[in-house]
Amino acid sequence: MLEYLPGDTLIHRLDVRTKMLGFIGFIIISFLFQDPLFQLGILLSAGLLALWIKIPLRKIWGMMIPLIPIIISIILITGFTFAPERFERVSSQAILFYALPGERIGATVGGFLMGTTFILRLISMMIVSSVLTLTTSLEDFTQFFQKMKVPAEVSMMLTMAIRFIPTLDKKRRQILEAQKARGTKFKEKGIIGSIGSYLPIMIPLFINSIMMANSLSMAMLNRGYGLTRTWTTMRQITFNSRDYWTMAFIGLGLGLAFYIRFGLQLGVL
Amino acid sequence: MIELEDLTYTYPNASEPSLKNINLSLEKGKFVALLGSTGAGKTTLSLCLNGLIPQLLEGKLSGRVRIAGKDVGKTAVQSLAKLLGLVLQDPETQIIGRSVEEDTAFGPRNFLVPAKEIEQRIDQSLATVRLTGYNQRLTEELSGGEKQRLAIAGVLAMEPEILVLDEPTSELDPLGRSEIYATLTALREKNNLTILLVDHSTEELMDKVDEVIVLNHGELVWRGVPSDLLRNLPLLRQWGIKPLPVSEIGWEFYEKGWISLAEIPLDIPAAEGLIRELLPLYGNRPGIPLEGVKYLEKSQHEVQQHGENLRSKREPRLSEKVLAVEIKDLTYRYNSGSPALRGINLTIDSGEFLALIGQNGAGKTTLAKHFNGLLQPTSGEVIIEGMNTLKVDTSELAKTVGYVFQNPDHQIFSATVEKELEFGLKNAGYRGSEMKKRVAEVLEYTGLEPYRSVHPFSLGKGERQMIAVASILVLKPKLLIIDEPTTGSDWTGVQTMMALIEKLHSAGTTIIMISHDMDLVAQYAKRVIVMKDGEISLDGTPQEIFSNEEVLRESFLAAPQLCKLSLQLKDVLGPQIFVEASEFLGMFESGEQRGC
Repeated sequence: MLEYLPGDTLIHRLDVRTKMLGFIGFIIISFLFQDPLFQLGILLSAGLLALWIKIPLRKIWGMMIPLIPIIISIILITGFTFAPERFERVSSQAILFYALPGERIGATVGGFLMGTTFILRLISMMIVSSVLTLTTSLEDFTQFFQKMKVPAEVSMMLTMAIRFIPTLDKKRRQILEAQKARGTKFKEKGIIGSIGSYLPIMIPLFINSIMMANSLSMAMLNRGYGLTRTWTTMRQITFNSRDYWTMAFIGLGLGLAFYIRFGLQLGVL
Repeated sequence: MIELEDLTYTYPNASEPSLKNINLSLEKGKFVALLGSTGAGKTTLSLCLNGLIPQLLEGKLSGRVRIAGKDVGKTAVQSLAKLLGLVLQDPETQIIGRSVEEDTAFGPRNFLVPAKEIEQRIDQSLATVRLTGYNQRLTEELSGGEKQRLAIAGVLAMEPEILVLDEPTSELDPLGRSEIYATLTALREKNNLTILLVDHSTEELMDKVDEVIVLNHGELVWRGVPSDLLRNLPLLRQWGIKPLPVSEIGWEFYEKGWISLAEIPLDIPAAEGLIRELLPLYGNRPGIPLEGVKYLEKSQHEVQQHGENLRSKREPRLSEKVLAVEIKDLTYRYNSGSPALRGINLTIDSGEFLALIGQNGAGKTTLAKHFNGLLQPTSGEVIIEGMNTLKVDTSELAKTVGYVFQNPDHQIFSATVEKELEFGLKNAGYRGSEMKKRVAEVLEYTGLEPYRSVHPFSLGKGERQMIAVASILVLKPKLLIIDEPTTGSDWTGVQTMMALIEKLHSAGTTIIMISHDMDLVAQYAKRVIVMKDGEISLDGTPQEIFSNEEVLRESFLAAPQLCKLSLQLKDVLGPQIFVEASEFLGMFESGEQRGC
């Protein structure tokens, strides 16, 4: 999970609600169009946003590389499974070749184009959601939940889970070292063997987590958690003029996209 | 402020009550220490004070607890938190926020304090615990001492009138400890808080607290001013509380009838004065400084009395010439960070008893983890009993190098003590009768025999620590590394553990001990290595190390009380540094006749 990336761009300063609206707008636009060319345009604008907030490229690559096999299989699957009748344009209905003799399982032009669209859509989604999480602090998200009337317990749980990830990871490392020092080998053969060799890690980790949860619940009561059903909001989120301008821009973009798609009938396959 | 009436409490499934008929009332503005051995009921009592018992933990409770006039049984824990702030033992599980600011705000936010005021309170409480400017720091990146102080700040932000702290310093280095005590003293002076401090150690507390309360097996056995308690050594020993080292000298004098009970010294100047006063009257050779030759004579005498205790304290064994550890130009860095160890060169002979000391983060544990290959050098090499750690796997090294970690709960996973001990042996390829034999031997050796088929987690922390040691001992390691063997143990537990280590050492095991407890280091180690910023800054006998005040100060360490006393008496003792009370007593004539 990507963490908060401190910065002071317009996107950082926008209200979390504006950003959420923009995020949803972006998704809608992306789903309006099927033409890969349009998707490429959408991807480009997502890329520009990412450049703007100086996204760490290495992290993005780290997320992309494991997806490559998925990308290839999506293109293949859509290419072969989308029947010609599903496309409006004649050019898309054209069949390139058949996988099996006797004109069975044909690969359509539209199918491959559709696959490309899916991939481009996936990548722009990833970039845009990264932009959202990187520019929004956890505190802002909890505020958003509160405004959306999500119960306080839910956002509390979320915060705590994120807070305790590093702690548990540290525990795991300590346990691993303690067991290694007793000569545990982690390369046993077979499924049973490998499960067996992880028991010395899993059991102490489980017990330690329970003990930690116990003392955590004491600590929370000690600090007055649960006295009232709400708590003080530390920073009131407010709309600024920049938020109104951005929202107007998002509205305009959405309107334009709808006009192109349904008014001009562009961007379909 | 605090009133307890006939308080008795039994944990669910326990046969014996943990607290028995406690009657106690504490006034506002007092700073009180609550002492007692492990299992005496100190933590249980603090949980009763803010209502976690009986509201969260069930069990049988009778009697009454009133805090500032409120009945604890009838008031919710959360609203009591405004009156009484409780800081628990482990800071790790008390920190709720991701950033320091978020965590400090947690308490007041629950009480719906306005945001403006919360901000003020954050800054105030962070300033009190000396964490000003830490507001945006991530809590997971703080050091142990900082986490502990943050835990206190989080409670202070709720502005309680009473502060109860449960062993807040047990896992800290000497610097971290003194910072906590300084914080508490400041709090008491500035904010007029009532403070109840649960603790093991007595040395730093003595001149800070108004009153001491002692619990023993769930009963309140003593209450009074600290000096009265600290002069009464038989009582301290009976209750498992560590006496001040200088008072042990004084007690001997008192027993001989040379001084009255009230004259037993409790700090270094008093002890110095007393020794100077008594030396001309009862000293061995009054006025003549003791020379090195006489020291040796005496030490031979001590050997007869204490067995292995003092042997080879000055001269390391020369008979066995096998190197246990050989480290050449070791440098280690964690991923891309600055080096955690820099250019370490070190050789350790077989059969040595070595202590690694230094501040938290000085690199002690990082160095020790190289001894069994848990960490591998970035450059340089580490050779253990002839094996290069780069070439030999940790699981193979485990047969020669035993490593006991600080927290026993990180390794215990079996359903019985016996099975837990068998685990290491199975890894090393032992089966059948040889395995049974070794387990039986170690159970006997460590005194765990009665718990053979008991579930380890049903035992106390001290026993669990012993299980962790035992599970390493079954492998009969030639080299034993022990990381903080006594953290969180009471004085009795410390002595049991140290006696065991001493026994292993005399059987020929090389011991490497990491410890913050300078008294133990001075008393048991034959060689001490001081680490600072990933380098070895000093290497020598305890006497040499603890007389080098400059290096100690730079490394944020303090010499044990008796070593400091020796330095004060330089004109009498010459260059000698004494580390045990018996050595001081050797200066006096009747001291020679002890044991006859």
